Amino acid sequence: MLALEFPPINEILRWQDVFPSFNKIAIIAVAAALVGTVIFLIAGNADGSKAPRGIRNFAEAIVEFIEGQIIMPTMGRDGLGWTPFMLSMFSFIYLCNVPGIIPIIQMPATARMAIPLFLSLLVWVVFIGVGFKHQGLGYLKSSLFPPGVPAALYILVTPIEFISTFLVRPFSLTVRLFANMLAGHILLVTFALLTEELVQGGNIALIPVGILPFFMLVFLTAFEVLVAFLQAYIFTILAAVYIGGAAHPEH
Amino acid sequence: MEAFTILAQEADKAAAAASSAGFAYGLAAIGPGIGIGYLVGKSVEAMARQPEAAGMVRTTMFLGIAFTEALALIGFVVFILIGL
Amino acid sequence: MLRAVVTYGSTGPEVFLSAEGEEGYSSYKYEDCSIIPEGKDPQESIESLEECDPGPSPIMPEAKELYWGAGAFIVFALLMRFFLYPRLRKSMDARYESIRSSHAEADQARAEARGEVATYEAALAEVKAEAAARIDAARATLESERSVQITEVNGRIAARREAAAAASVSAHQAARGEIGTAVASVASRTVELATGTSPDPVAVSRVVDEIMSSGVSS
Repeated sequence: MLALEFPPINEILRWQDVFPSFNKIAIIAVAAALVGTVIFLIAGNADGSKAPRGIRNFAEAIVEFIEGQIIMPTMGRDGLGWTPFMLSMFSFIYLCNVPGIIPIIQMPATARMAIPLFLSLLVWVVFIGVGFKHQGLGYLKSSLFPPGVPAALYILVTPIEFISTFLVRPFSLTVRLFANMLAGHILLVTFALLTEELVQGGNIALIPVGILPFFMLVFLTAFEVLVAFLQAYIFTILAAVYIGGAAHPEH
Repeated sequence: MEAFTILAQEADKAAAAASSAGFAYGLAAIGPGIGIGYLVGKSVEAMARQPEAAGMVRTTMFLGIAFTEALALIGFVVFILIGL
Repeated sequence: MLRAVVTYGSTGPEVFLSAEGEEGYSSYKYEDCSIIPEGKDPQESIESLEECDPGPSPIMPEAKELYWGAGAFIVFALLMRFFLYPRLRKSMDARYESIRSSHAEADQARAEARGEVATYEAALAEVKAEAAARIDAARATLESERSVQITEVNGRIAARREAAAAASVSAHQAARGEIGTAVASVASRTVELATGTSPDPVAVSRVVDEIMSSGVSS
């Protein structure tokens, strides 16, 4: 029998504090902001009059991705002013996600509740603020009393709309990012442990079998690259949908 | 009996919690699994029929997946909460 | 207080009873923890593994992570909003604008070049037509001069040919006369030698003439 002892989830996430109130997650978050700043700084310093190359090309590709794939389909041309916000949100989330597969670091900062919670609360505040700014108190009316519903049904519809708009949105936004990254992290830990246990468990016959979870580990690492990008994209596009919806009520 | 602290029961409780956590996650994954499969299948069909609309379909597909997937992820969080 | 520790051994559940403070009251020590808490003796026994540092809760947000994450994001977003993005956008817009204007310039230059090509072709056609006309004129002049000269040369050739024919006829006559005289003198000498009398020179020359003209013809 294998003596496989899976550690409790808390232990996967435990890191010694570098100094009180500054731990690995904080390092990753600060590093993400720093790396993003440096990338866009280098891109901004590069000669912009010629065809973009290297880091500048990369940065411009991100900007055009944000504009073309996130803002234009959800907010339309009026939403282009939100590009810097969406750009920094996308870059920050991606750079917080991607340490989950970088060897040695191996920890997505978004697999902890704090950063997703902060970002979705920020989006929540922003979309409610945008709603009130663009529609005044009419925002409450258009979001809680959607037009085209028989008056009697408002007893049913209004609480549902209230819960889904003002409570579930930030909650699902947080949980989606957090749980996706934590699940990916746990999967990687599981297969790494399984590989280690099979190869170093002392049973020679099991060593070749250890290749299987190892391949799974490699495959999942590649998959996590995709997930890191996709979650950043989905978080940002949902933020754009919420903000765009608050700015322009559905007709 | 009061004189004993019976650790075995504690262990039973933990085992029950673990298995119910597994059930919670497994049940929570069924619906979204079907939903996402249906959603992506239909999206592929739409993209194959009208390749020029593929960009719009893909954006909408990702939004739909995000909403559907949230249910499974809530199940995952419940799994962690019960399993602890 | 007594404590019952139930473990699953190889022969089924084993129950171990111990009183507080006794050896074996707890089966755990700090060294059983995956991370030994700082400042604790690894041999010190603990009630359960719960007393190890339990690590962070996977669900609850931690204040320090919240502060640092929020601070990092806010700084990043502000930098992006006021510094990084505008610079990038400005140079991108400038480049797009320059590309657009150079497109327009290229279009204009192309139109201009097309106009120039058209003028050039028109001028070329004009010049070609003029050249063709001049060549035709020159050819006509040449033709007429040539015919004039040819007739002149032909006339000259005919005159010379006539003169030459006359000269050859007279030379022929002269040669014939000389030969006749020579033959007559030879014939009269021969007759003189044979007969001893010189024949009448007139008769001789007449005979010679007759013979020569018939001899030539026969």
